[in-house]
Amino acid sequence: MLSELIISSDASVRDTALAKACENLSLAQLLIEADELDQFRRQSDNLYHRVRALFFLHALHRFHLPPKLMGDSVGQIPFEGHQHLLERRFQEAIETFLTTQKNEGPGDAISSALASAYHQLAFQTLADQVRKSVRTVRGNQWMFRMGHPADHPLRVRPELLTPAADGSSPILLERTPVRMDLTHSAWSDIFFLGMDFPEGAKVINVSVDLGVHGRDSETAPPVEAYLRIIDEPVIRLTSVDLKATATIDSLGEVFDFAKDYLGLLKAAVIAAGIVPPGIEGSGQKLSHLLEKLMGPGRGIELVSSVNNIPKGSRLAVSTNLLAALIGVLMRATGQTQSLTGPLEENERRLVLARAILGEWIGGSGGGWQDSGGVWPGIKLISGEQAGPTDPEHGISRGRLMPTHHVFDENEIPASARQALQDSLVLVHGGMAQNVGPILEMVSEKYLLRSEKEWKARQEALALLEELVEALKKGDIQALGNATTRNFYGPLQTIIPWATNLFTETLIARVFQHFGDDFWGFWMLGGMSGGGMGFIFAPHRKAEAQAKLAELMLSEKQRLEKALPFAMDPVVYDFAINPNGTTAELTDGLLPPDYYQIHVPLLMRKAQPRLTQLQRKDLSRYHDACLNHPRFQGSINQLFNSVLPKEQDNSQPGKDSLTSLLIQNGFDRKLHESIREDLLNGRLGLSQNRLPSSTDLQDVDPDDLFDTTTQTSAGAQQLGETALRNGEVAVVTLAAGAGSRWTGGAGTCKALNPFAPLAGNFRTFLEVHLAKSRLIGQAAQKTVPHLFTTSFLTHEPTRAFLESVKNYHYPGPLLLSPGQSVGLRMVPTERDLRFAWEETAQQRLDEQQQKVRESGRAALINWAKQSGQASDYTDNLPLQCLHPVGHFFEIPNLILNGTLKKLLEERPQLKTLLLHNIDTLGANLDPTLLGLHRQSGQGLTFEVINRRLEDRGGGLARVNGVPRLVEGLAMPDEEAEFNLTYYNTLTTWIDIDQFLFLLGLTRTEILENNTPLIQGALRRLAQRLPTYITLKDVKKRWGHGQEDIFPVTQFEKLWGDLTTLPEANCGFFAVSRLRGQQLKDPAQLDGWLRDGSAKHIESICSW
Amino acid sequence: MNVTKAVITSANPVDKHLPLQTLIDSKGETRTALQILLAEVFSAGLEAAAIVIPPGEEERYQLAAGPYAERLTFIEQKEALGYGHAVSLAAEFVGEAPFLLLVGDHLFRSLGETSCVQQIIALAKSENATISGVQPTHESQLHLYGTVAATLRAGTQHTYDVSSISEKPTPTLAEQELIVPGLRAGHYLCFFGMHVLPAKAIDHLLARLETTSPSEKIGLTETLNFLADNGEYLALRIDGQRFNLGERYGLLRAQLALSLAGPHRDEVMATIIELLA
Repeated sequence: MLSELIISSDASVRDTALAKACENLSLAQLLIEADELDQFRRQSDNLYHRVRALFFLHALHRFHLPPKLMGDSVGQIPFEGHQHLLERRFQEAIETFLTTQKNEGPGDAISSALASAYHQLAFQTLADQVRKSVRTVRGNQWMFRMGHPADHPLRVRPELLTPAADGSSPILLERTPVRMDLTHSAWSDIFFLGMDFPEGAKVINVSVDLGVHGRDSETAPPVEAYLRIIDEPVIRLTSVDLKATATIDSLGEVFDFAKDYLGLLKAAVIAAGIVPPGIEGSGQKLSHLLEKLMGPGRGIELVSSVNNIPKGSRLAVSTNLLAALIGVLMRATGQTQSLTGPLEENERRLVLARAILGEWIGGSGGGWQDSGGVWPGIKLISGEQAGPTDPEHGISRGRLMPTHHVFDENEIPASARQALQDSLVLVHGGMAQNVGPILEMVSEKYLLRSEKEWKARQEALALLEELVEALKKGDIQALGNATTRNFYGPLQTIIPWATNLFTETLIARVFQHFGDDFWGFWMLGGMSGGGMGFIFAPHRKAEAQAKLAELMLSEKQRLEKALPFAMDPVVYDFAINPNGTTAELTDGLLPPDYYQIHVPLLMRKAQPRLTQLQRKDLSRYHDACLNHPRFQGSINQLFNSVLPKEQDNSQPGKDSLTSLLIQNGFDRKLHESIREDLLNGRLGLSQNRLPSSTDLQDVDPDDLFDTTTQTSAGAQQLGETALRNGEVAVVTLAAGAGSRWTGGAGTCKALNPFAPLAGNFRTFLEVHLAKSRLIGQAAQKTVPHLFTTSFLTHEPTRAFLESVKNYHYPGPLLLSPGQSVGLRMVPTERDLRFAWEETAQQRLDEQQQKVRESGRAALINWAKQSGQASDYTDNLPLQCLHPVGHFFEIPNLILNGTLKKLLEERPQLKTLLLHNIDTLGANLDPTLLGLHRQSGQGLTFEVINRRLEDRGGGLARVNGVPRLVEGLAMPDEEAEFNLTYYNTLTTWIDIDQFLFLLGLTRTEILENNTPLIQGALRRLAQRLPTYITLKDVKKRWGHGQEDIFPVTQFEKLWGDLTTLPEANCGFFAVSRLRGQQLKDPAQLDGWLRDGSAKHIESICSW
Repeated sequence: MNVTKAVITSANPVDKHLPLQTLIDSKGETRTALQILLAEVFSAGLEAAAIVIPPGEEERYQLAAGPYAERLTFIEQKEALGYGHAVSLAAEFVGEAPFLLLVGDHLFRSLGETSCVQQIIALAKSENATISGVQPTHESQLHLYGTVAATLRAGTQHTYDVSSISEKPTPTLAEQELIVPGLRAGHYLCFFGMHVLPAKAIDHLLARLETTSPSEKIGLTETLNFLADNGEYLALRIDGQRFNLGERYGLLRAQLALSLAGPHRDEVMATIIELLA
């Protein structure tokens, strides 16, 4: 039946939402449907039928089957299937999981594995089709056939080979505007979606010149690509913005994308056919290839510049730079008619095809509108049905390449264009976010025809018509009104995460200040917070530019510990570019910043080793510094770059690394001992593991109490009484930065306003307090709530709570600051290789995998050059420190006097509930509290049924004894897959038993006998293993650029207390809604769709 | 269509020495490249030939033409104003008749019984059309030749209907516009170096000369496209090989091909083996 939704010729049936069709189906019926869909997708030869069936199957196993599998056997996931998934053998993985489902019956665990496999296979199928289309676009095919330099068909145009009268090489300069998407296309410019539903893929795309407001005196095409022929048989690449250069003399290096910052330039060299992709791995010499192109002893130099436009502007700077580079290379090799001036329409399309190819080669991937800067002015870009001559014909409804209609002045008059320029303030909010998950969410929702999202997509399409009309009339107020409705209507219906607290606050404050003169807001790109547009009555535009700069900066400063910002916000000046990309032959000078990079390198070379052109370059630079206005001050700048002022983190100062180490209890002795152990191989990732001889089995049903199916008489009442008596407090672990949440950005996860709940963006902090508030209201006794903090989170959390007046939390609210800190180290090569080569890894798509491998080789080199296990200090001081593991959080409560304070206020306190910041469902459930009390256990750990995504440890019988085993400690990778339960870390703690474990008493705590307490805690810590981990840390530089480095840190973990028999531990299996953790923003959409968000709202009181 | 006249261009000052080079032909006789080319022209039944040369070269060319010199008309191109201009200089020689156009720096070798020139003249006899000799050529050689967009004429094996001509296209353009069904991947129909053109080709060239500035170079491609747009234009896949003497080792390649097809084949083979040993 469900396959009807895919194949029906009736659009109303075909566009029926899957959720609606599944509404009334029983478990048995859903399983039959899943089986039929699986058969259908195997037999169908239509790409989009197959893909939709795969998404349907994903949705059945992710959203529709699990609620009906409650209480059924939990089941396990076969390791073999997991391995297939990691290796991207999705079909084999599905076979393995289906066999398990057939033999052992359906279950939550196996459905999670099937959901993941179907989801990944769907995206892989789509990616394969895009790749195939990119390769088979006419004009791209020959590059995949060419495998030998002797066959190279291109020749550099003679105009570039003839030196100028003064001996310098002519320079070809391509100048390209960037593009802004005036309508926001509701993400319909994703290749997959344009190919599925070409009628729905439409955008209004404007080519713009930019300047940074207050910095640049005028607007200009921000993207520049320079090309010249040089007198060495090499390819020299330079990015003046990234201050990076490379001289490439081998073919292999051209394909080594992540070795340096020049991956984009390399992708352009390949996609333009200079070094065609077909020659990769041929073993041929680059010099031979260059000789064929331009004669012996010659090479090519390519220089890129984006005028320091910050990264993440959502103006497709990098795609347009790629297009500019490809354009200049194609012009130079006669692949366009004209060497200079604008391009013809067919040439622009070719540059687009090559830019798509380049993005695929470089392992990135923009939308099909992103090369819009190549075209002039304002244009409508539309998806196109695949015709008989297109390679996509018979495979997908739409083709890869869209069509461009450039509006002429009869359609959109000059006055309307001017009016847009007079009203629009274009900004970069400074936020840096990964839009990848958003694009996946949109693709999936569209292909599933999810009801409200599909309807929203139609609304967005209707809005596009309205926008075009407003533009034609020059009615910018109507345009602003429509873009605002688009943002608050269709866009947020499709992706609620398109907005965030920063954006919402900005809009509110702008409206507050400008009132009716604020005509509208519009979001650029995948999500807001980066590139954005604010539309004003023209007479207030200048004021608005200044005001927005001020507002954005103040909001950024307020929220920068809660949201990931990469840079200070920027306001742009912009102008519509009427030409698109154009080229000119220049006076022989490269941009001034080019010389800042190269002159020091040339000066270091012995005079006789300089080539003639290099000597000429030096002399021209000298002349330019004396006579050319653009080079004014260049010499001074050069000296500053050659002799930079030393930046020394080790010098004491309030926020210096040294001071921070002293302030936060850094143990130098322990640090040196760990370093020695790392270097000697006594500590390391492989040493984290239990011996392979360990007998590690799944637990027996009797080893834990399943609270989802069992209960105990009087437990609830017991719990309620304890709550009423004020005997319980909550401890939320909020010391971490949430590395996965922001990709190592170093913000406080607790303060992240992650999702709108009950109508407002809520921080993790607020959600946890709201749960305690509700419990307190029911018990008529407030609940003390503690947040543990660290060097990184304490001050921001304190300030934040103060600013929101503790969210008016009625009970005691305490912060427990961390008492110890570690200093990160540069990892050892051994650990990096263990993590990347010996541990099973998710293999990426072909090109992305190549890029990743190249990047990892570069990072191993970095580790070796920086000194393995040396202190990691080359970053902001706070990014060099690390918390030392959550084991220390409860000991810290004791050590820093927080527990003492609490016991003084509530002497009756007996139980603590400890949980992670991202375990949103954890609360003081009276029944669970009662069950814990009844059990008499010192520590009761909560576990949940394992799903595929739950990695990192579990409940196991180790040598016959039940305990928690950390993922780091698993003797091998298969072991984890034999475990049914995943550790949530949520723990009910009997205070007195825990003190007994430490050898302490309440009296000693209340007396605050520090030496005694320190001794007791140290003794307990020594009994627990020390783990070595690798964490990703971001290093920010330049204009919004970020590098991610793996660094080594150590930790001791709370779950290891279960290895101590005298800790008297027990285990509760709890529901997934209570125990699941939100670790990655990519989980948010599923979390909303599967009812988790609604559940959280139901256990909160705001 | 009866073709009796040939026009050979050799006016490029850079390549002017090429037709004067001495080779040993397939009969084992020592002759200049020009003589070998003229022998092929006249043996195909053509009656007269004109050769367009740079100024001051007539004497050397006369000498190089040997016994064919008296059947030759020498036309000087005083300024290097392009291939099209060179052809237009033959207006008087051609008159109103169709003519065979050859380039002086190419030699041809038939792989069958009839010579390459005979093949194209034979087709010209049965068709009232512009005809270009073509050969499937790998995309790596496209930068050297004019290339046609064409489809195989129904019922024939070697004759194509031409729709457009591109001068030295890039493989990118070729892939988009010049793919010929039936050819191997990466191969295109490139000029063989011989055409049968109607007299109106010269008229078109002369008309263009009137509208361009005196110093502007004029190519032939635009005129060929004019002919394709205004009449029947065929391409004949010649059963033979062409040797561009101007290429690197072009002369050597031509000499080897001629020698290996002649009485000294064993001697040449032995020499090659000796060199390789």
